Amino acid sequence: MSAVTLRKVFKRFGPVEVVHGIDLSINAREFVVLVGPSGCGKSTTLRMVAGLEEVSDGTIEIGGRVVNEVAPKDRDVAMVFQNYALYPHLNVAENIAFGLRLRRIKKDIITASVNDVAATLGLSELLHRRPADLSGGQRQRVAMGRAIVRQPQVFLFDEPLSNLDAKLRTQMRAEIKRLHRRLDATSIYVTHDQVEAMTLADRIVVMSDGNIEQIGTPMELFLNPINTFVAGFLGSPPMNQLEATVSYADGGPIAKVGSDIAIPLPELRQLRNAEGHPIIVGIRPEDTAVERNGAANAAGIKCDLDLVEPLGSEALVHVSVADHPVVLKTETRGAISHLSDVQEFFVQPDHIKVFDQKTGLALDHPEVA
Amino acid sequence: MGSFNLYSRGDRIFGVANAFLVTLIVISTLYPFIYIIAVSFSAGSAVTSGQVTIHPVDLTIAAYKRVLSEKLFWTSYRNTFIYTIFGTIATLLIIIPGAYALSRPQLLGRRFWNFFIAFTLWFHAGMIPFFLNMRDLGLLDSYFGIIIGFAGNAFSIIILRNFFESVPRSYEEAARMDGANDFQVLWKVYIPLSKAAIATVTLFAIVSRWNGFFWAMVLLRSEEKIPLQVYLRKTIVALVADEEFASSLLEEVYSFETVSAAIMVVSIIPVLLVYPFIQKYFNKGILLGGVKE
Ligand SMILES: Nc1ncnc2c1ncn2[C@@H]1O[C@H](COP(=O)(O)OP(=O)(O)O)[C@@H](O)[C@H]1O
Ligand SMILES: [Mg+2]
Repeated sequence: MSAVTLRKVFKRFGPVEVVHGIDLSINAREFVVLVGPSGCGKSTTLRMVAGLEEVSDGTIEIGGRVVNEVAPKDRDVAMVFQNYALYPHLNVAENIAFGLRLRRIKKDIITASVNDVAATLGLSELLHRRPADLSGGQRQRVAMGRAIVRQPQVFLFDEPLSNLDAKLRTQMRAEIKRLHRRLDATSIYVTHDQVEAMTLADRIVVMSDGNIEQIGTPMELFLNPINTFVAGFLGSPPMNQLEATVSYADGGPIAKVGSDIAIPLPELRQLRNAEGHPIIVGIRPEDTAVERNGAANAAGIKCDLDLVEPLGSEALVHVSVADHPVVLKTETRGAISHLSDVQEFFVQPDHIKVFDQKTGLALDHPEVA
Repeated sequence: MGSFNLYSRGDRIFGVANAFLVTLIVISTLYPFIYIIAVSFSAGSAVTSGQVTIHPVDLTIAAYKRVLSEKLFWTSYRNTFIYTIFGTIATLLIIIPGAYALSRPQLLGRRFWNFFIAFTLWFHAGMIPFFLNMRDLGLLDSYFGIIIGFAGNAFSIIILRNFFESVPRSYEEAARMDGANDFQVLWKVYIPLSKAAIATVTLFAIVSRWNGFFWAMVLLRSEEKIPLQVYLRKTIVALVADEEFASSLLEEVYSFETVSAAIMVVSIIPVLLVYPFIQKYFNKGILLGGVKE
């Protein structure tokens, strides 16, 4: 299994630059997910690793070898496409064997490999079917089989689950994770779905607009987003972001939202002597509570109830704080009637994130400070 | 009141009008066939006196006997097969790679070449320059001249190019990552995926070769090289002048209408036999299932 390294990689389509010099180093056996909104350059980046797009500038290394000028077939990478790209005129076995046949591998070895892969993916009964006679999930598995059978150094996935319905997506997601544990191959996975990113990745690379915003483990990114973009992208529902200014009360920093709301802030070095500094206060819906529950240092924040969305064991409570919409997430424990008279919610200052309003950067992030 | 009708009055009138039009088209294409068959099996006198409309009158196979006993008929029949088979192969060998190349975005000067091909759809040099060109290339009165001289076909290239362009790129990309070179991408991906389009242009090629008449007549001198269509014309011309034939007319067994009809029937049979095999590829669903957009 090989490491993959991108150094100052640019991609231009004619005069339009869509990837602006990204650096990324992926360890051998690592599962890395590129995530970001549609059009941010994830697929383009992946396709440059695959060799399907030329690199405009910079270098890509696979297993220590610069592959900029190496043809896709000689990079020892396999890719699972969003639309699967299964050949309709070939049956499942032939689709899986396609790459091996092109490489003129002996027939009995091909048969053995195909059977092996089919068994791994639960396709043994379907080997003689055509793609048209398979369900979405089965097609997806065949597409994976075609990649696995070649035992490549690196697996590339471009939104492999986006054509499946929600239930199947969850199921296949778990299967991909199991498969990765078993094959232990370097994998680069592209998705716009933050849940997929969180659940699958060893490390997540958040991209926007052709740049990398932040790289880290799912929990690192969730707990310490470097800027408002990452904070808003990961987590569901996303982090609430309130525009505010720094002030002080009782010797501690507070955020003033509107004219009469004050939210106590964590004691950060960056918040000393910052009176009037414009900031963004970030509050995760999960970090809020509608009751004080004995958390003595939790601050109560006045709000107007907008609507309650019960999800079963949890409920989303939509409120507004000085006319800014805020979403709270709370456990229902079987009842939601008490939520209809929420006038205040509670949050611990330590759980609050503070971002600079101008730069969008987290004030206390080690990479920023 | 209360009876629920899925179709409005307008819809129903539209349906009836459609059925009527389709019936009309079917009759107008089918009738000439039926007529020719009826004539070929009728006595010459019955045809001359206009009695044959839809079925044979005074049933006879005299016309067929006469046609099938001619040595030149068999020679020309064989030639038509040669021109059709090798001509169609030559056409496919030229237009498939041609259309594939034109469909590649990385082809140098792609717009120019595409324009160049399309240009010939509307403008060409004309008959005399073409004839002189063939003459100067030494392609007069030769099998090879007929086969290669008419193998390229801009219309078919464009049909096929458009089809190739509509094949999702990920098929090709997947094949390339699996190790396919340009030729293998064409052979193992594009051709199997384009069976329907290739069947269409193949059928065009077969039919136009089979019916090829004008240029064969102009370019071929020797009798042993002429195709069926030229033979048909020759026969009609010859029969008029043939004395033995004139005397047979007196016996009213056949006329040159019935002999021509018999030749036509015999010449249509192979095309009718081939068509069902090609037709099964006219299946739009061929791309279904492989990719999901
Ligand atoms: N072949 C191409 N030619 C021109 N622009 C392209 C091409 N491919 C992608 N782009 C542009 O590059 C940007 C990034 O695209 P892509 O990598 O597909 O985004 P993502 O996969 O993150 O949704 C988009 O703005 C897209 O329009
Ligand atoms: Mg994409």
